[in-house]
Amino acid sequence: MTKSHRKNDRSVSATLAAATCALLGTGASAPVDAQEEPKWDFNTSFLYYGEDENRVQDASLKSIIRRLFADDKSLSIGVTVDTLTGATPSGAIRQDVAQTFTRPSGNAAYSVPAGELPLDDTFKDTRVALTANWTQPAGEKGLLSVGMSASKEYDYLHTGLNANYAHDFNNRNTTLSAGIAVARDSIEPVGGAPTPFTPMLDVGDVSNRNGDQDKDVLDVIFGVSQVISRDLVMQVNYSYSMSDGYLNNPYKVLSLVDGVTGDTLPRTTPLPPDGGPSGQFLFEGRPDERTQHSLYTQAKYNMNGKVLDVSYRYMTDDWEIDSHTMDVRYRWPIGAGSYLEPHLRFYTQSEAEFYRLSLDSSQPLPQFASSDYRLGNFDAITAGLKYGWKTRNGNDMSLRVEWYTQSGTVPAGQLIGNQAGRDNYPDLNALIVQFSYRFSQ
Amino acid sequence: MSGPAGRECQIVATEHGWAGRFRAMGSPCEVLLESGTRNQAASITSAVAAEAWRIEDKFSRYLKGNIVDQINTANGASVKVDDETANLLDFAATLYKLSDGRFDITSGVLREVWTFDGGDHIPDPSSVEAVLSRVGWSRVQWARPVLTLEPGMEIDFGGIGKEYAVDLCVAHIRDSQSGPGLVNFGGDLAISGPPMRRRAWKVAVEGTLPDAADHLIDLRQGALATSGDARRFLCRDGVRYSHILDPGTGWPVPDAPASVTVAADTCTQAGMTSTLAMLEGLGAEKFLAQQDMLHWCRR
Amino acid sequence: MKTKLLPAVLLVALCAGCSSMGVEPWDRDVLAREDMQLVTDPLEAATDDHIYFSKEASSGGRGFGGGGCGCN
Repeated sequence: MTKSHRKNDRSVSATLAAATCALLGTGASAPVDAQEEPKWDFNTSFLYYGEDENRVQDASLKSIIRRLFADDKSLSIGVTVDTLTGATPSGAIRQDVAQTFTRPSGNAAYSVPAGELPLDDTFKDTRVALTANWTQPAGEKGLLSVGMSASKEYDYLHTGLNANYAHDFNNRNTTLSAGIAVARDSIEPVGGAPTPFTPMLDVGDVSNRNGDQDKDVLDVIFGVSQVISRDLVMQVNYSYSMSDGYLNNPYKVLSLVDGVTGDTLPRTTPLPPDGGPSGQFLFEGRPDERTQHSLYTQAKYNMNGKVLDVSYRYMTDDWEIDSHTMDVRYRWPIGAGSYLEPHLRFYTQSEAEFYRLSLDSSQPLPQFASSDYRLGNFDAITAGLKYGWKTRNGNDMSLRVEWYTQSGTVPAGQLIGNQAGRDNYPDLNALIVQFSYRFSQ
Repeated sequence: MSGPAGRECQIVATEHGWAGRFRAMGSPCEVLLESGTRNQAASITSAVAAEAWRIEDKFSRYLKGNIVDQINTANGASVKVDDETANLLDFAATLYKLSDGRFDITSGVLREVWTFDGGDHIPDPSSVEAVLSRVGWSRVQWARPVLTLEPGMEIDFGGIGKEYAVDLCVAHIRDSQSGPGLVNFGGDLAISGPPMRRRAWKVAVEGTLPDAADHLIDLRQGALATSGDARRFLCRDGVRYSHILDPGTGWPVPDAPASVTVAADTCTQAGMTSTLAMLEGLGAEKFLAQQDMLHWCRR
Repeated sequence: MKTKLLPAVLLVALCAGCSSMGVEPWDRDVLAREDMQLVTDPLEAATDDHIYFSKEASSGGRGFGGGGCGCN
């Protein structure tokens, strides 16, 4: 075989492309899109989530394995392992003096220095979650999906089933879908679930505990997705969610405070040798039912190869929480198979009707109360950047780094006395780093 | 793929729409359509078949009186060609340069001494030498639109014709705005666009060896073409002689792969790339890797 | 609740207008791209859904997640 004197073999395809254009008398053809159908698809990611100030840290490994069968059927199995460490706000408010609290287990106590936000670092946990999903075409225009989910951590068990049906209309330009999911969760709090509004007791005293609890959740979703133009597709979903059963957080308390000073009432009996709470704290109590409605809308718009993804969600429930979520992503292809994707998310929610910073001892106790910051009035922003690239084998890798920050306000009418001068809301700042690897074969 | 003989079209209903079948250029041909009525499918198939037969008749080396016959019997005289023929000659000239002379449309005369019928008859070197003296694009005078061959030389568009026809037929389907379609001439195929009802057209790339598994390809845009010698080879003393001849030596390119399939923007590009890869012999895989195109190379 | 009516009205209006919108099958090349799918990265979507379910009072919207957890 004669030696090739070709300067650069890459220019062969370019020259051939130009010659073909001249032969066929057309402009440049649309680029080929051919993929060998992978039978297996492995998608794995490693996530680090870390809040500042010694709060929650999570390292998580997540994997979704999909097997494609003939006739567009597929089975998807997902496994997630989370290891959580760190502390979470207990619901008690800061004080100008040091405080002590009994741990949820009732077996030990911990102390919080003066001026600091009380954080409970009891939970060092490992959570394992499993999902399985079977998808298959139903007729020529339909797609049916059924699945199950389960997760276990030391104080929580979740089991659930779900099903979804989607149908295409108008030459596949319109898709209507309906889905339903049911779940039965078991809460097995360390030490047993405390009776709401009973006080945090001394170490060794679990007389106000009630053992394990259950809750049921029903989710229903209806959606329409519509192709608007060659470059624009939109989606609108309405979801309804109903939770029934034990909805409390068994570890959270509220500080019982003086009606004038707003300071936590001190304990009435001497502190026993094994320890106990330095003040009066009552376990929270939430309604045993919650109904949520959400309206979600999303648009994906192609602008010459760059993709803008905008979504908005409105949520309202019968706990009087209203929330708005606005999410914007912009995928910007750079080079062959690489992209940069900045991301911005705005979130705002109004507090639950029964959200209280603390309980006023000079007033009758409300029927429900919780100082869980997640039920409060806050705004949150996520800002991040994702970089994706293709490996030599054509597999996808990506790395994203995001910053999530929450800042809340206590409704003005709830601040009592000295509380007004303090920083009461447990604002949150978290770093999110996720590395993903996807390969098919 | 069974189909009609002679020049007739057959329309059958398939799981996803219609298939129009006919025979052209020595291969079974197929037009797959997703939408429309049986009559619409028949009308499109007729138009595609008419175009395929037009190209076949115009550029076949077997038909007396067509432009190729005029050129091959000119015996040294100059022949003025039309635009379409001129385009093909320009394309052939570019490919001759691009392949360092390995792709040569004047090498067709070598079929006089080589018959690839799966048998073991290898010609003797002197007869190969004799025919080789009538091969060589560098000796052709091509000044568009006038072509002058030396006496005894012949041109053969066999290596370009089928893929060219596929691309023209797919363009016709695209222009007719009758829904997405796939045109397949004996394994060289192209699509007018992604299908309506499924995520992609599913194409199987056959193995040349009996037990080789099919590759299933999801095609959403572009074309596929295969160069292969599944039925056209010689085998003697355990050595397999591919039907890809080196115009420089007159002998089969040594160590050519058994088959090369390439996915590219057009069928012409796919076909030429797979042909160029075969001509590289041992270097086929390296050549294909450098083109950055999806490909399958079987030995 | 008045707000319950609004989503239903929006859905119906969207459906009514839907039959005239869209593209012909041969114009679906852009829509077929992976980065134009409504959920491009299911792993990232599932991760985000879980993070925000743990830290906020709202959940979902896109579809079902993997279920609840005792997240604190």
